[in-house]
Amino acid sequence: MGVETELKELNVTEGCNKKCEDCEKYFECDLSVKEIFKQKGILSLIRENLKNVKYKIVVLGGKGGVGKSMLAVNLAAALAKRGKKVALLDQVYDCPAVPMMLGVSGDARLMIGEKGLIPYESKWGVRVISTGLILDQDEVIIWFHEMKRNATEELLAAVDYGDTEYLIADIPAGTSSETVNILKYMPDIAGGVVITVPSQISQNVARKCIYILKSARIPIIGVVENMSDTNCPECGEPASIISSGAGERMAREEEVSFLVKVPVSIKVSTSLDDGEPFVIKYPGSEEAKAMDAVVNAVVKHCETIKGN
Amino acid sequence: MGQEAREVISINVELRCDHKCENCERFFDCRDEMKWKIYRRRRMAQAIKKMSNIKHKITISGGKGGVGKSTVSTNLATALAMMGRKVTILDQDFDGSTIPRMLGVQGVKKLRYGTQGIIPAEDTLGLGMQVISMALVYPDEVITMFHEMRRGTTEEFLANVDYGERDYLIVDLPPGTSSDACNLLQYIPDLDGTITVTVPPAVSQLAARKATLLSAKAGSKVLGIIENMSGYICGKCGKEFDLMKRGGGEALAKELGVPFLGRLPLHPEVAEACDKGVPFVYKFPSNPVSEKMKEIARRLEEEILQRL
Repeated sequence: MGVETELKELNVTEGCNKKCEDCEKYFECDLSVKEIFKQKGILSLIRENLKNVKYKIVVLGGKGGVGKSMLAVNLAAALAKRGKKVALLDQVYDCPAVPMMLGVSGDARLMIGEKGLIPYESKWGVRVISTGLILDQDEVIIWFHEMKRNATEELLAAVDYGDTEYLIADIPAGTSSETVNILKYMPDIAGGVVITVPSQISQNVARKCIYILKSARIPIIGVVENMSDTNCPECGEPASIISSGAGERMAREEEVSFLVKVPVSIKVSTSLDDGEPFVIKYPGSEEAKAMDAVVNAVVKHCETIKGN
Repeated sequence: MGQEAREVISINVELRCDHKCENCERFFDCRDEMKWKIYRRRRMAQAIKKMSNIKHKITISGGKGGVGKSTVSTNLATALAMMGRKVTILDQDFDGSTIPRMLGVQGVKKLRYGTQGIIPAEDTLGLGMQVISMALVYPDEVITMFHEMRRGTTEEFLANVDYGERDYLIVDLPPGTSSDACNLLQYIPDLDGTITVTVPPAVSQLAARKATLLSAKAGSKVLGIIENMSGYICGKCGKEFDLMKRGGGEALAKELGVPFLGRLPLHPEVAEACDKGVPFVYKFPSNPVSEKMKEIARRLEEEILQRL
C-alpha cells in the first residue's frame, strides 16, 4: 500500500485575486480591498434602493427541511397581521416554495414597473419576491455561484420595495453561495433567526449558521426548534418524532437566545399546502402561540436597535 | 401605482458560451457534439479509471432539504451491505455533511492519503462499508465554497479516490439542483440511476419534481421515488397517524411515470439511531420500518440487474 498520511486539506483553495464579490473568505478578511468594495458599485446601489426598508431580517438554518420557509412565511404573515408593512424575499432559487405556501397561484407572475420589479401582493398582506414567480414550475434551475450572486444583486438592487418596515429573507440550506451572498449584499441586517430541529445531528449545521452570522457581525435574535414534541391523537401520549431538546442545548452552548419550540403537527404541514399560514388559519393553536413568541422577539429586537 | 407594468420574463443573468464546459450551467441542454469529446478527455478520463471496478453507481437526490436523503442513503447502503454487498457511500453534501456521524465514524476515523489517492474510511460495524466525506477532512469548520471549489472537490472525490473493487457506490446529494447536483451528474461516469427521496406534503413535491426532472435531463435513469416520513407509528399505542397529508410522493411518481419504491413511516428510533451513529436497519433489523428499507434495497437491486 505504500506510505499513508492523514488527509489534512483538499487542494481546492485559491489566493486573493481582489475579487471580493467572488471570495469565499469575505467575512474573515480584513484587507483594505474589502472596504473599497463595500463603498462602491453595486453595494451603494443596493443601499440606496433599500433606504426605505426599516428592518431586514434573515431566516436561516443551514440544514434543509428544518422549516426555514415555514418560519419565514408565518413570521411575515404574523407581522402583516399586526399591521406592519412586510416584504418577503425568497432567496431559494433552485426550488422556491414560498409562493405556494402563501397561496399565490401557480401562474402569478412578477411585473416590472418604472422603479423596478414589483413585489407580488399575496392575500395575507405579505409582498413576495421569488424566482418562483418568474420561472415555470417545470423549469429546472441550474445556477452556479455567479448567476446566483447576480440574481441576489438584482433582487436587492432592482426591486421596488417602497416603504417596508420588515424585509424578511428566506435563505436556503447550506453555508455557501446563497447564504454568503445575501449576508454580503444586504446592508445593515437587523438580525437573524436560526431554525433547527431537535435531533443531535442537525445541530452541527445550525451551529455553523451561528458562526457565519457571528463572523458577518449580524446580531442573532435567537434559535427556534421546529418539529418538537407532539401528542398522539389516539392515546394522547407524547410522541416525539425526533428525540427532543438538542436545539435548546445547542443555543445554550453557543450562548444565544433560545426562542421557542414549535410542535410538529399536521396543522403546520397542511396549512402550508393550502397556502394559508397557520398563524392566520389556526390563530389560537399551540403552533400559532409558539410563532407569536418568535414575532415578539423579532419586534422587540428591532425596536431596541432603533432605540440605540 | 399608475406606472405601466409588464411581466418579468427572465432574470438578467444569462451567460454566453465560453467553451468552458466544466463551468456551464447549460451543460445538459447543450447539443454541441463536441461537448462529450472534450469533456471525456479533459475531465472524466481519470474518474473513469478510478471507478472502473465499481459495479453500480446510484445517487440519492431530493431537491428539498431534510427529507431524509442522508438517512435513506445510510440505511440503504447498510441494507445492501447486510446482503453481503461491498458498498461505498460518497457524501456529496459539503456544507452539512452528516453521513460520517450517522455511521459512527465521525471523530473516530479520518480520510487518509496513500499512493493510489484518497483512502476512504471504513465503518466500525464490520460491514465493510466505506465512506468519503468532507466532514472526515474538515470536521468542525464552516464550509463556504462557491461553484468552482465545489467542482474541484467533486472532481477530487471522483477521480482521486482509491475506490478499489465495489458492488455499489451510493452518492448522497445535498438539496438544490445547482452546483453539487450538477457537478456530480456531470462528472460521474456511467451512472446506473437516481432515486428521489421526498416527504408527503404537496409543497415538497415542487422540489422533488425538479430534482427528478434534473436527473432525467442529465440523462440518468430515474430508479424511483421514496416517500419518507409517511405516517407516524405511536410508540405507546402502536396506532399509525399522519403528521403530514400522505401520498404526495406516490402521486408524483405516477405523474412523472417513474416507479414508486415505497413509503417509510416515521419512527422516533430512526432519528435516534442516526444521532447514535448506528444505522437503524442494522440496529433493529426486524422492525417494520427496517423491513421496508430492506425491501427497497432488494427492489433496487432487481431493478438494476434487470437492466443489464
